[in-house]
Amino acid sequence: MLRRLVFAVLILASCRSDGRTVGRPAQRIVSLLPSFTELLFAIGAGDRVVGRTTWCDYPPAALDVPSVGDGMPPNVEAVAERKPDLVVLYNSGPNVIAAQQFERIGIRTVLLDLNRLEDLGPAARTLGRLTGLEQRADSLALAMDSLLHQPPPTSTPSTTLAFVVWDNPPIIIGRGSYLDQLAALAGARNVFADVAEPSAQVSLETIAARNPEWIAVLSDSAGPPAFARRREWRAVRAVREGHFLPLPGGLFGRPGPRSAEAVRQLQALLAR
Amino acid sequence: MKWTVLVVAAVAALASSVVLGPATVPLSELFRSDIVWNLRVPRALLAFLVGGSLGVAGAALQALVRNPLADPFLLGLSGGAGLGAVLAIALHITGPWALPIAAFIGALAALGLVYRLGLIGGAALDPRILLLGGVAVGAFAAAITTAIVSLADAAELRNAFLWLWGGLSGASWDSVLLVALYAPVPLVVLLAASRPLDLLALGEEPAGYLGADVEAVKRRVYLAASLLTAAAVAVSGVIGFVGLVVPHIARLAWGHRHRALLPAAFLGGGALLAIADTLARTVVAPRELPVGVVTALIGVPVFTLLLRRWTVA
Repeated sequence: MLRRLVFAVLILASCRSDGRTVGRPAQRIVSLLPSFTELLFAIGAGDRVVGRTTWCDYPPAALDVPSVGDGMPPNVEAVAERKPDLVVLYNSGPNVIAAQQFERIGIRTVLLDLNRLEDLGPAARTLGRLTGLEQRADSLALAMDSLLHQPPPTSTPSTTLAFVVWDNPPIIIGRGSYLDQLAALAGARNVFADVAEPSAQVSLETIAARNPEWIAVLSDSAGPPAFARRREWRAVRAVREGHFLPLPGGLFGRPGPRSAEAVRQLQALLAR
Repeated sequence: MKWTVLVVAAVAALASSVVLGPATVPLSELFRSDIVWNLRVPRALLAFLVGGSLGVAGAALQALVRNPLADPFLLGLSGGAGLGAVLAIALHITGPWALPIAAFIGALAALGLVYRLGLIGGAALDPRILLLGGVAVGAFAAAITTAIVSLADAAELRNAFLWLWGGLSGASWDSVLLVALYAPVPLVVLLAASRPLDLLALGEEPAGYLGADVEAVKRRVYLAASLLTAAAVAVSGVIGFVGLVVPHIARLAWGHRHRALLPAAFLGGGALLAIADTLARTVVAPRELPVGVVTALIGVPVFTLLLRRWTVA
């Protein structure tokens, strides 16, 4: 019941923002997700971004924009203080409530889905419409969509991996995440592709039994993660052999205009 | 007879948690398999030791504070452990054992604080103040924890909660060995206090007349039960209901004599947690449920049935 209610609110909210996409191009934008900040800069609206989250660290010019906090959930007053005429939010429960608050004080909002690579094109096009930069947004969307349509490097993935995002309890990435797509595009098979959710808790035994050749971890340091030294993890062959793929969080932690670059980096790591 | 049933149940629980798992291992290869030997066996043993420790700690604390609601985590230890773990992550203290050690230190700090509060107003440990102090220290630690999680900008902090809410994923021969060496000390202290704990049920004054050194016993029992719980939380997080439900069930079958009650609570707690962890690993495979969810799903209905029998009787 509650879930249905939440869905109803989500649908209503997205309808409302869709209906208001026409109008004067936005001049003062607050972006509340690093991916949106990257998209806005990529379509040439970077100089109109007047607020960002603490996580928005790319492109480097974004760091000159004032931060409005971590955005989880958005600090409505801190955002309003930037006097935006558009707030871009990721479509999630707490953000729907925040969007209603912004609308109440007359600030236009847009809630965008961004879970999979195929969400990137529509997100760029919507941002293009809202900023009056349709052309650049369109060509960016085409470029990002082409990533999805390119044939995988080999017809059958030759190598296997598991994304381990937390070690105790072990949390892995499933089919619902764009990371699973990045792996496929780089020519590797995620051994947890049968898990429909973006991420899930599994037992160590399952990781050991599925025996991936590589363990991918979001990490900015090149060395093996701390859990590699724990005895129970040594039951996993890739851990014993030190087969780790350290993926820089800024590039792999979010889908965005640089996802093609992420695929290339992953390919290069796999080819080592 | 009831001992036979309990021992058989405990052995069956241990055996099933070694045989069953999300990975298919043929029976003939059971003891040659790396997965079974290095993951399942230590995990089953750790589940049993932790479950048993929580059962005994719960039984002893219920007798100490003379309150059927007492649970090993009621006295602020979970809050302290959580604060320790979150601080370790927020301060970027890394290392394979950083979280368990930090949680253990946090639990010890909470223990010391509650103990000191319990001594307010004199040298006598007041069980009511222990309970209230435990709840207060726990709530305060939880508030600081939440403040750190919402203010610090470490993305992995949310995962600290996952760790804290229980699970035996970190089981290895190292942690089994650690608990197997550590737990017997407080367990023996508690078992040795069986007789005074029986007397304490009559009230502190009568217990004193009957020859129990009430103050010393209270201190010993509180410290031993808390040290046992602190070790459990360090290796497996906060696993609820075992320490609350198992002592009550054991009391129904074995009565209020702690010499029998405490060993029964150990075997019962061990069996319950081993079974719960087996279910957590297998029912939604390849995914895994937090084990605390399973102990609650098993424990609460059993407990409700027992409550009905109590009120009817």
